[in-house]
Amino acid sequence: MSSKATFTLFLIIGLLVTLALIAAPVVYAISLSFYTMDSFVADPEWIGLANYARILSTGAFWNALGNGLVYSISTIVLQVVLGIGMALVLNQAFPGRNLVRGLSILPYLLPTVVIVLTFKWMVDGSIGILTKAIAALGLPPIHWFESPQAAMASSVMVSVWLWTPFVTTAFLAGLQTVPTSLYEAAKVDGTNAIQRFYHITLPMLKPVLTVVVLLRAVWTFNKFDVIWLLTGGGPVGSTEHLAILSYTTAFTKFDIGGGATIATLSFLFLAISVFIYFRIFPLDEEES
Amino acid sequence: MTRALFGRLALYLTAIVIAIYSAFPVYWMIVSSTRAPQEMFSSSSLWPGPFTGEYYSNLLELTDYPAQFINSLTVALITVVVTMVFSVIIAYAVTRQRIRGKKVIVASMLYAYMFPPLLIAIPMYTFFTRIGLGDTLTSLVAAHLTMTLPLGVWFLWGFFKNMPFELEEAAMVDGCTRLGAFLRVVLPLSLPGLLTVAIFSFLLSWTDYTFALIMIGSDANKTVPVGLASMIGSFDLRWGEIMAGSTLIALPLFGAFALLSQYFIQGMSAGAVKG
Repeated sequence: MSSKATFTLFLIIGLLVTLALIAAPVVYAISLSFYTMDSFVADPEWIGLANYARILSTGAFWNALGNGLVYSISTIVLQVVLGIGMALVLNQAFPGRNLVRGLSILPYLLPTVVIVLTFKWMVDGSIGILTKAIAALGLPPIHWFESPQAAMASSVMVSVWLWTPFVTTAFLAGLQTVPTSLYEAAKVDGTNAIQRFYHITLPMLKPVLTVVVLLRAVWTFNKFDVIWLLTGGGPVGSTEHLAILSYTTAFTKFDIGGGATIATLSFLFLAISVFIYFRIFPLDEEES
Repeated sequence: MTRALFGRLALYLTAIVIAIYSAFPVYWMIVSSTRAPQEMFSSSSLWPGPFTGEYYSNLLELTDYPAQFINSLTVALITVVVTMVFSVIIAYAVTRQRIRGKKVIVASMLYAYMFPPLLIAIPMYTFFTRIGLGDTLTSLVAAHLTMTLPLGVWFLWGFFKNMPFELEEAAMVDGCTRLGAFLRVVLPLSLPGLLTVAIFSFLLSWTDYTFALIMIGSDANKTVPVGLASMIGSFDLRWGEIMAGSTLIALPLFGAFALLSQYFIQGMSAGAVKG
């Protein structure tokens, strides 16, 4: 086969697969948002923008958007702070460092289901190990999922535990690229550790941080299973975010057009946010 | 001097706290999955034991767990193979040639990173139900590919881009065709990149709950994450069996990590990994 033909073949396969698996579902989802359909086999009926008008006028949508923002922003801030802190510690030399580095990645390897089930087991009302530890310390029992604030805090806590390793690893890899001569020079100039962190480490790692925060923000905002498995969106919708609202609308209320509309709006919101983010924190031109 | 000593001590202490924070839930999951039933309710000893294999045998003999394990494995392996084949082809075509279609592919893959799962799951479920393939492992593989393919293409794109063109040209001067040069020179040299893509595709597919919840309805076709999660909905909570099931899903991942940790870390550092 000639070199040109090989390429053409590769490209055609690539285009077809991309269109079938990535583009087609999204186009289909967006088109479903213009129809009403009350079961997955029913014939869709065109209603134009009626789904959008209806969804945007419900309190549930705005409540879910607000919850999603609270959840994503608190999860990201906490995991970035914690992840950077851990990376700084794991970058020091101490015996057993490789073991601790390995252990610190563990949460990221676990399936969400396992994390949520283990967390629920640890805080089980009567025999969970955390419940017992709290009682042994003489503290009042914590009701992890009962009040709206507690349910949100528990969701954030579990998510932070799960995703901090991502930040730690990326930051730790970034730290290896900072030349030690910079620190030596700064030390000679009489700076302390905190000044060196703010004036050398952070600026040098800004590109890594920009990408990590962006990726984490997008995926956290889209993440369905952590909250769904922990609280199911409750109590009374206090942890329901757009992914859960879209799921329940399409799969328990069988309002398929409505579910597709929420998913589309959610994507639109993300795409606009990412666009603004890149305006504020431009990446260096080395990509593309 | 004492200040330096204090600093060391604080460092060790923090390292121990990090280790416990990260690993305790995993440790506790394994301890609970092997602790005898009476002790499970009364004892709060942090040491493992007294041991029992009861939960594991219940899980394997009385539930759908073994069948679900096979389902998970089938889906994950097929997803890995298909992802590898297509992401190699796409990434290579995109890096080695300036063609029009290239932009479409690259842009789609970039946007795919931002797709809310329901934006994919709703149309996929509708489509597969309508063509009579609802509730099948095939439909689940298709859904998983929407996560793993962009990952593979992005990762390998970066990998192929940094591979000097001269290598292939030298092989072609020596009489290889383009395809031959690709198969004999480019692929073997990309082994570390391919391995990373394989690992993370497996991880994504194996741990997925969201797509499996939506695409699969019947107990017989469920994968382990969904099967396990439904145990907590039932009226008596069998924590021993639930922890045993959790341990068994996590075990292959720990094994792979112990053997291939450098690739895990490489992939995570590249920021290529969705979670």
